[in-house]
Amino acid sequence: MRAALSAAQNGVDVAVVSKVYPVRSHSNAAQGGINAALTDRGDKWEDHAFDTIKGSDYLADQDAVEVMAQEAGAEVIGMEHMGAAFNRDENGRLGVRNFGGQRDARTFFIADFTGQALLHVLHEQVLKLGVRVYEEWFVTTLVMDEGRCTGAVAMDMRTGELHYMRAKAVIMASGGLGRVFEPSTNALICTGDGIAQAYQAGAGVMDMEMVQYHPTTLKNNGALMSEAARGDGAYLLNSEGERFMERYAPNMMELASRDVVSRAEQTEINEGRSIDGCVLLDARHLGEKFIDERLGQIRQLGIDFAGKDLAIEPVPIRPGMHYIMGGIKANVDGRTNISGLYAAGETACVSVHGGNRLGANSLLDTLVFGRRSGVHASEWVKSQPASTGDASVEGAENARLQAILDRKDGELFGPVRTALGKTMDKHLAVYRDQAGMEAARADLVELRKRFEGVVVHDKGRVFNTNLIFTLELGFMLDCAETIIAGALERKESRGAHTRTDIPDRNDAEWLKHIVVTKGPEGQDTPNIEYVPVTITQWEPQERKY
Amino acid sequence: MDVALNVRRYDPEADRPESYYQEFALEVDETTTVLDGLIKVREEVDGTLALRCSCRSAICGSCAMKVNGKGVLGCTTKFIDVMGPEGAAVTVEPAGNMGLIKDLVVEFDMHWDKIKAVEPWLKPSGPVPEAEYLTSDKEMLHLAGVMGCIQSGVCTSECTVLEIDENFLGPAALAKAYRFVADPRDDADVDRLGQLNRYGGIWDCTRCMKCVESCPKDVDPMGRIMAMRELAMVAGYTDNNGASHATAFYDIVKRNGLLNEFWLTLRTFGMFNIPEMLKLAPIGIKAFFRGKMPPITFDKIPEPKSVTRIFEKVEGRNK
Amino acid sequence: MKYAFYPGCVARGATPELYTSTIAVCEKLGIELETTSMEAASCTGSGVLQEKNQRLGDTLNARNLALGERAELPIMTICSTCQGVMGQAEKRLEDPEYRASVNEDLAEEGLEYKGNPGPRHLLWILLEDYGLEKLKAQFIRPLTGLKIAPFYGCYLVRPEDALAFEDNPDRKNSLEIIIEAVGAEVADFPGKTACCGFPILTINQTNSMKMVSNHTLAAKREGATAMVTPCPLCHLNLDGYQPTASKQVGQPIDLPILHLPQLLGLALGIDPEVLRLNKHIVETDKVLSAMALTP
Repeated sequence: MRAALSAAQNGVDVAVVSKVYPVRSHSNAAQGGINAALTDRGDKWEDHAFDTIKGSDYLADQDAVEVMAQEAGAEVIGMEHMGAAFNRDENGRLGVRNFGGQRDARTFFIADFTGQALLHVLHEQVLKLGVRVYEEWFVTTLVMDEGRCTGAVAMDMRTGELHYMRAKAVIMASGGLGRVFEPSTNALICTGDGIAQAYQAGAGVMDMEMVQYHPTTLKNNGALMSEAARGDGAYLLNSEGERFMERYAPNMMELASRDVVSRAEQTEINEGRSIDGCVLLDARHLGEKFIDERLGQIRQLGIDFAGKDLAIEPVPIRPGMHYIMGGIKANVDGRTNISGLYAAGETACVSVHGGNRLGANSLLDTLVFGRRSGVHASEWVKSQPASTGDASVEGAENARLQAILDRKDGELFGPVRTALGKTMDKHLAVYRDQAGMEAARADLVELRKRFEGVVVHDKGRVFNTNLIFTLELGFMLDCAETIIAGALERKESRGAHTRTDIPDRNDAEWLKHIVVTKGPEGQDTPNIEYVPVTITQWEPQERKY
Repeated sequence: MDVALNVRRYDPEADRPESYYQEFALEVDETTTVLDGLIKVREEVDGTLALRCSCRSAICGSCAMKVNGKGVLGCTTKFIDVMGPEGAAVTVEPAGNMGLIKDLVVEFDMHWDKIKAVEPWLKPSGPVPEAEYLTSDKEMLHLAGVMGCIQSGVCTSECTVLEIDENFLGPAALAKAYRFVADPRDDADVDRLGQLNRYGGIWDCTRCMKCVESCPKDVDPMGRIMAMRELAMVAGYTDNNGASHATAFYDIVKRNGLLNEFWLTLRTFGMFNIPEMLKLAPIGIKAFFRGKMPPITFDKIPEPKSVTRIFEKVEGRNK
Repeated sequence: MKYAFYPGCVARGATPELYTSTIAVCEKLGIELETTSMEAASCTGSGVLQEKNQRLGDTLNARNLALGERAELPIMTICSTCQGVMGQAEKRLEDPEYRASVNEDLAEEGLEYKGNPGPRHLLWILLEDYGLEKLKAQFIRPLTGLKIAPFYGCYLVRPEDALAFEDNPDRKNSLEIIIEAVGAEVADFPGKTACCGFPILTINQTNSMKMVSNHTLAAKREGATAMVTPCPLCHLNLDGYQPTASKQVGQPIDLPILHLPQLLGLALGIDPEVLRLNKHIVETDKVLSAMALTP
């Protein structure tokens, strides 16, 4: 929506295509806040940039991080001007809270539902400007013509009809791929559609092995307990009641970067200092009133889904898959290696998050690069001839979908999806090793075979969610392929990619990105390329918290 | 535990589309939610079951539905809380007041149309500040309460006025309007209240509290509507029956401590509103002959001044 | 069993039959009603006053509750709206700071609301204090063969936390329990906990009448001989405006609407004239003939 707003404001004909009503997008689940260095209160964007780069374990491209840190203030103030109801301090100015991996407090927030609040404000602006939104339209494939992206084919879910949406440019902002892992904090709609579609169209996807496991997720449904709790002062305890982060990150403690905290927790769990496979989030000392004002949503989540009240008792949590730092390789203007195709947000990899994303940088990423890609794509299309490609793609897609619908027997998508999720969570979680990752690769081959035989019970066209989930499963398998490829390729440990068989970081050989592209027809394995990391001001150092 | 899930189905593409119920047997534990159950059905048993859902944690607002006749979010409704005694089936039906597309998927556009109708975007006026607008934490926290709305449509589903009058803006849209009326940075309050003062707006709510009861995020839509009634009257929008009713009620109780329906009715419609008086006459006459006419002389409590004094004290503070 | 009786405004105004039948029933059952201590009580505000100023409504109700405390008697209400409004005020006044601040305005009159449990509706008192079995034993004229539809009134069923449903789960279907206790069958219909439309009567009569006709006709479809309601405001709409609703929908309705004490009174053997059953807008003859009583 941010991209659409800036494109519309730039005077071009833009439409948003979304498989759900815009306010259902998973950005609404971001809880803790959004980072920005506001210079008018003496903060320095360089500090924010450094914290981000260190957080990324030096894999982030520093020129891109600089852009994000420099533009953060304007984005946050811009959202406030549009009506975002940020918390305030006693002088009526925007209030801040502490957040992971940052030495200074620069996280602006709206209670503990910042993402939902910002998403709704953007939606209000979309309504105000009258930007067209194709709601509940499911994109099945990008359309390419002689190496140029000329739009997409989308299904109107109400009728099942396929439409070729011809466009001079497409900005892919379809979010992450959490459902490739089971469990995950992500919503059921986070199936990596855009990443897979771009990959199929020939785009490079970068840093796919960098999968973030968030330290505080609930056990039984994987729901997220915001980092804000720790930002506001909550502790992490093991089964012995010890604040174990003392041993792993004596300075930042619970607010070390997420991969550090998740590894610490996983180690505690693996070494038996856990309760029922979890450690404990303890916020009792913050007081009920404070919790209700700043952490009300997660208090309710704890009560609803774990039967524990954050205000009066510790809540059991454990690391859970949460975010993909990797994505479609894009530059700071959203451009990918495919003419006419842009990408922004979690879908893209610029890279600003490198090997590990700091909390409250994701919302920032979507706004800064959403705006930039909207501006640049809209500027670019003004000089472009009309998009080519004809409507025969509709017929081709229709035939492909009908073939799936026509299958007679087989299993439903469900068990295949669960099997995929489990194998990824087993072998590509916090700690990885060669044997495990190879097992995952072998599993994937089996799962692809099963996928070819998956049957769709619903033979109709109206709101056929059965068909849609099956198509999404295909996208997830593609995403998994790139994750496994990147993970096997990177022979070091960096950021969220931690190998028990190669536990050290190796800047000499691996200070570079891994870009995966689809192999040519007939080749089962993807192609791998390297792209160096852009260093501007900050030489990589040993990373300690 | 075993539970029977009784789902109302509807296939628009069937030869003769009609609603019917289908039962699914499930095994659940104390934390399993109705949504978990429905997802299990569509992933492993019957892939044709259509429903909207996404986050499973009450933030996306997709899974509004009726469980045992009550509007709820599927993802926060645990089986253990809605299972009847002795394994009676748990009934799941689509959300109410909105047309049906398929199974549990309803025509949600009706809800969005009403949201759009209240012009739900900030309307500040004056020069835009360099940095943030200055407001207080108290004001922003107050907004956070009503901004917590996730547009689930559960209130839309349960509203007893929307059930009979589709022109009513409904609790969700009115709560959204309040979000801007109460925002110190929005300068269009008076205009907004004026728009909402018309048919279909704040005065058409029948105060049944179904929206308050069913809202999964404690937005309290009815409370916001009532707050806007007060604000509208203060802003000078008193030329409607709702406002004159509230004002008459207030004056009568202030003076006498008790209500008198005869005078209340007269003053609501206007003492000299002949057409309205003529309409009411038949009922009034019948009531009179059945001894149901309240006395024309005011009924007072023994010490009405004690009540008048309270009115003056509390109102005095407002000024 | 002694209670400070709070009849509310309408029972003394447009529905006097409710007042007289309440007195008659309580006398028969041996429930002592003390009528003087609540004489000084004001109207609860009915939700309408709260529209103008919620704090004012809370102050008036704190005063009402304080009067009951001063008499050292539990308060009985006979109106769903009075019950609901006072219950909601009571809930807000649970906060000690708020209560102290409201009490400041009561001090001049020498009153103070200390936070003791507030009022309860006759319907609940019968189940919770009097006892169902003891009640049933007194019914000498059961309404066998009659089907009665329950209509609670919004304020007696929502919001649940202001009505202490969690601690008293029987309140949720209390009216149905009573209907069965008097020997009748429950005519269950959707809308028994919905809105009668009274609050919008003067604002949007068309909608208000639609609600009346929807619910009364739905009850009739279930075979109801009559409807019973514990709220006089609902009664005003369902009974008083039934002819108007019938005209609007273009269908005859003719569904007698009984007040709760009238239903009880019939079963207790009280003379229908004492219950003022001949004083309704919609004739109640059907009920009486079904009971083989002379209308």
